Amino acid sequence: MKGVELAIGDLNGVLKGLLEKEVVDCLIIPHSVGNNIAYMLVTDPDKIGGEGIFAPSFSVNAAGLVKGWTIKSKVGLVAKPCEIRAAIELVKLNQIDKESALLISVDCPGAFENQVYADHRDEIGEWIDSAKIEELKSKGVELREACKICSNRLADVGDIAVVRREGEKVVVAALTPMGESALNALGMELEDKDIERKDEKAKIADAAKKNEESLPKIGSIEALEEFLRDCIVCKNCRDVCPVCYCKECFFDQPLGNPVSGDMLNLGVIRGAIGLPTNQLFYHLTRVYHVSATCVGCGACADACPKEIPLTRFYPVITKKVQEMFEYVPGKDVEEPIPFTTYEEEELEDRLR
Amino acid sequence: MVEEAKGEFEPKIIGFTCNWCTYASADLAGTSRKKYPPNTRIIRLMCSGRLDPMFVLRALLNGADGVFIGGCHPGECHYIKGNFYARRRIAAIRTILKELGMANRVRSEWISASEGDKFASVMKEMAAQIKEMGPNPLRGKVL
Ligand code: SF4
Ligand code: SF4
Ligand code: FES
Repeated sequence: MKGVELAIGDLNGVLKGLLEKEVVDCLIIPHSVGNNIAYMLVTDPDKIGGEGIFAPSFSVNAAGLVKGWTIKSKVGLVAKPCEIRAAIELVKLNQIDKESALLISVDCPGAFENQVYADHRDEIGEWIDSAKIEELKSKGVELREACKICSNRLADVGDIAVVRREGEKVVVAALTPMGESALNALGMELEDKDIERKDEKAKIADAAKKNEESLPKIGSIEALEEFLRDCIVCKNCRDVCPVCYCKECFFDQPLGNPVSGDMLNLGVIRGAIGLPTNQLFYHLTRVYHVSATCVGCGACADACPKEIPLTRFYPVITKKVQEMFEYVPGKDVEEPIPFTTYEEEELEDRLR
Repeated sequence: MVEEAKGEFEPKIIGFTCNWCTYASADLAGTSRKKYPPNTRIIRLMCSGRLDPMFVLRALLNGADGVFIGGCHPGECHYIKGNFYARRRIAAIRTILKELGMANRVRSEWISASEGDKFASVMKEMAAQIKEMGPNPLRGKVL
């Protein structure tokens, strides 16, 4: 990879440079809001304070914020790897015009829920290492479940990767021609940088696997019914999901969201129906719809007002489908989504 | 609902069959008086590629004990690639249902218009298997 090593403090200059040199028309980046971190869209370089890019706090999956970005003006998205992976899936789904998006992934140590981060910001700060994660864990302050089972948290996707190095240093590396010309436009001298980090990735994947195995299993349709018992079908989990992108959701239409007469009709057919309607049908449909593209970000779990731990359902189940297709969402923008392609001889052992 | 003893209940199977092959094979089985159990209610699709996995979910959630999907043999789809896409969708929905212990209630087969025998034997086999499994655990639930 071609890249450049910088002091962390110089990252701000890079971000500002992207706007000043008109590499992008705007940036969507994390910034501080009171005691917490949220995203902002910024066009004025002077508004970039720089804090929060690595902060281990998860608010929304930022790919969802650029869903539908098919205009010619260019956006630069600075976000965690799971968010950039979701953005890459959206490119494949024609929901983002790749020519109009410069995707910049930053290393993620694993994140805390927004509220948890706010409550412990003094202790956590702008970055957290594994020793500190363990220390906080012993006090009952834990990473999000999705982050504990994530094995892809090191920056290696998008056009540019921002990699943490010992001693408050970062490497900014170009992963694509678009990324390289962006860095060139900033007048950076690029040299070969190794940001592969195979061993570290293997270790992370190992820990993630163990954590996933220790999650309570759903295991049966009755268990799923119980798991979703408190769901009020508010569809927040759909709305925050970066890869749930249908413009007209079935569950907003009369069959999926029946009201009055339609609801009564269903009741007449079935004798009795649970309300709000279609709890199980909604989630089973959604899990199928995101089965190839779910990046396991856990945004759905964070957004659930009933605190249903949806990470135990969506990422866990969809992973089985992704393994079957040997597909890692967001890994490669050129690789087609499994449902849009086929091989003439395949999967016969999965049909009966 | 009264628990029906395993093996004694009559399963309800919803079959989604392609107009050009499996639906015709069912016809052929009928006209040539092949015997098979009457558990399957058939819904005709123009192609297995029309099978939205939501159909499968809806059938199961409405209490069907089994779902059968029939299409043309790979390479023989009337619309060239419909069953190739269908195969991926079916494999995916079955993978999800497997995690929930429901995959063995969903079966698909490629049966051409001339394979009335195959249709009858698949129906027989599937009815027996599902009888053995017992009723859909969602049957009778307020969902
Ligand atoms: S289903 Fe949940 S975990 Fe998967 S991509 Fe959507 S929000 Fe993220
Ligand atoms: S966010 Fe929670 S309550 Fe709302 S639909 Fe999703 S699971 Fe149900
Ligand atoms: S026409 Fe029979 S499967 Fe497509």
